[in-house]
Amino acid sequence: MPPSIELEVRALTKRYSPQVSVGPISFEVQEGEFFSLLGPSGCGKTTTLRCIAGFETLTEGSIRLHGERLDDKPPHRRDVGLVFQNYALFPHLTVFDNVAFGLRLRRLGKAEIGDRVSRVLQLVDLAGMATRFPAQLSGGQQQRVAIARSLVLEPRILMFDEPLSNLDFKLRIQMREELRNLQRRLGKTSIYVTHDQTEALALSDRIAVLSHGRIEQIGTPAEIYEHPASAFVAEFIGSSNMLRGRIVERSEAGTIVATATGLRLHCRPEPEGEVETAEVSILLRPERILVEAPGGRAMPGQNRVSARIADVTYLGEDLHLSLDLVGGERLRASVKNSNAARGWAPSQSVELVVDAADLRLLRR
Amino acid sequence: MDHGGARPIWAFLTGPYALFLFVLLLVPFANIAMYSLHPYSPTKVFLPELTFDNYRKIFDLYYVRLFGRTLRLGLITTAVCAVLGYPLAYCLARARPRWQAVGLFLLIMPLMVSAVIRVFGWIVILGRKGLLNQALLGLGLEPVKLLYSETAVVIGLVNIFVPFMVLPIMASIERISPSLEEAAQNLGASWYRMFGRVILPLSLPGLISGCLLVYSLSISAFVTPALMGNSRERLVGQQIYDEVLVSFNWPGAASLSLTLVLVTAALMFGALFATRRAGRREKAS
Repeated sequence: MPPSIELEVRALTKRYSPQVSVGPISFEVQEGEFFSLLGPSGCGKTTTLRCIAGFETLTEGSIRLHGERLDDKPPHRRDVGLVFQNYALFPHLTVFDNVAFGLRLRRLGKAEIGDRVSRVLQLVDLAGMATRFPAQLSGGQQQRVAIARSLVLEPRILMFDEPLSNLDFKLRIQMREELRNLQRRLGKTSIYVTHDQTEALALSDRIAVLSHGRIEQIGTPAEIYEHPASAFVAEFIGSSNMLRGRIVERSEAGTIVATATGLRLHCRPEPEGEVETAEVSILLRPERILVEAPGGRAMPGQNRVSARIADVTYLGEDLHLSLDLVGGERLRASVKNSNAARGWAPSQSVELVVDAADLRLLRR
Repeated sequence: MDHGGARPIWAFLTGPYALFLFVLLLVPFANIAMYSLHPYSPTKVFLPELTFDNYRKIFDLYYVRLFGRTLRLGLITTAVCAVLGYPLAYCLARARPRWQAVGLFLLIMPLMVSAVIRVFGWIVILGRKGLLNQALLGLGLEPVKLLYSETAVVIGLVNIFVPFMVLPIMASIERISPSLEEAAQNLGASWYRMFGRVILPLSLPGLISGCLLVYSLSISAFVTPALMGNSRERLVGQQIYDEVLVSFNWPGAASLSLTLVLVTAALMFGALFATRRAGRREKAS
């Protein structure tokens, strides 16, 4: 049996003015899924979230929670928890009272409130902090209070609006893992809004990549990274090399593309109808380029290209190489800082080995 | 020579105004305090011997009533200002910058009109044959006698003092992040419950400052009560004016002035202390 659909967003459209609008956006979130909306600022991801929470009204389209229409309910009757970017903790209330806020509104008994609050505080590892005020907590602790405050109400969906962007780097990674563990443990359907592709890749079951108010692609982190549907997705997720070329040969064995400078590259066979036009962009991820000393022989299904090292950036774990191809194109390669890589220096001649399967053709 | 950096800069920044206050407030104040301790004389400004009679007199029924009426009208004015001003302050605080500027201008405008002209405006509206009564008559209703009553005084005072209520409340609401409102609603609070549990408690310091300002301004008001009030039910301000300029009883006026100042100061400190404690509980250390 397929997992049931928890949230269904259909043709969501929000028009701020004739020039500025978001949508139509459609997606479905499965029960228990961790779903991310990823995109640069102004792509409509926060608007979508605010529409689901009820802080914005849709111009067109619908939102359904378990088949039930959500978009005509006022924000306080929606049963979707939202963790705000700046946490939005109530400064005049203690941690306990912040977490108990929603329970008190539901007029639960004092004993039950105390019970549920202390259980959820335990869950987010804040058991000793109940009597503190938000100003007395660190950023990471405030973040956990904000999560606890939503979790304690057991909402159908938990939504996060860039929750880690106010934390420093190390804490961000730590909170990211905690968040993932918590979500896995509770199995709570979650929607996560972020502009940080690493966060989205690390946390999500599925990601929707947005740009200019539209969804560019929906897929698992691996699908989005390995098979980006557009040049935008390819460039937004991870770093990438883009070459321009045209398809000169299609066959069962593979596709051959020629770049403007006459370079012929073997690619794996394109699935039927995926790229119809001859003019294409060729995506090549920097970590998929193998740098070798000149003189090797190309294996079948491999491309072997001569290049010259233009620059080496030392990053500790990795080395980033800027490589000039014979035709004049410049590629970036990322190699592990191993013994083999230690000798690379600018103006050295090398050969680049690229698997046909690592070249991805995109509609231009 | 190298003491330049250590010179307390605050002395330069606050010095001019401190001097101003000292010469034009503290010195006259001490002078008034001195008057209030000497007996009244119809022929001289005061007699040389010291006495507390001027203060004892304040416990006479006439003066007790005078103070009672003044403090009560101050309380009513403050309450009306708070009820009218709070929603306005909320809207202004949450308005877009352009609308906020327009709103603030309209709010402040009454203060740019001289008190006397404004009061005459009210007389035209509230008078026996004023606009209000003509409108009532036009609707077939009984005319009302509003002018020269406590109600008229409250209307006049509220008209001037609403901005003093709105501005501090607005400032404190502006400091409350709108995301707190959304968070409360997301947790299940309707707008009204959100307001009662989040906005009201967090803007309390602004409300208290507004009330203190309006209250202290109302109980020392002079022009509006003198022109719009009933001359038999006067307020402390008018009484002081009469004792200075009509009966030339400077010691009497001085004791009334000092008492009014002390009552105001006591209220101010009480309220400030209360907010400080509330504030400390909130921030905590």
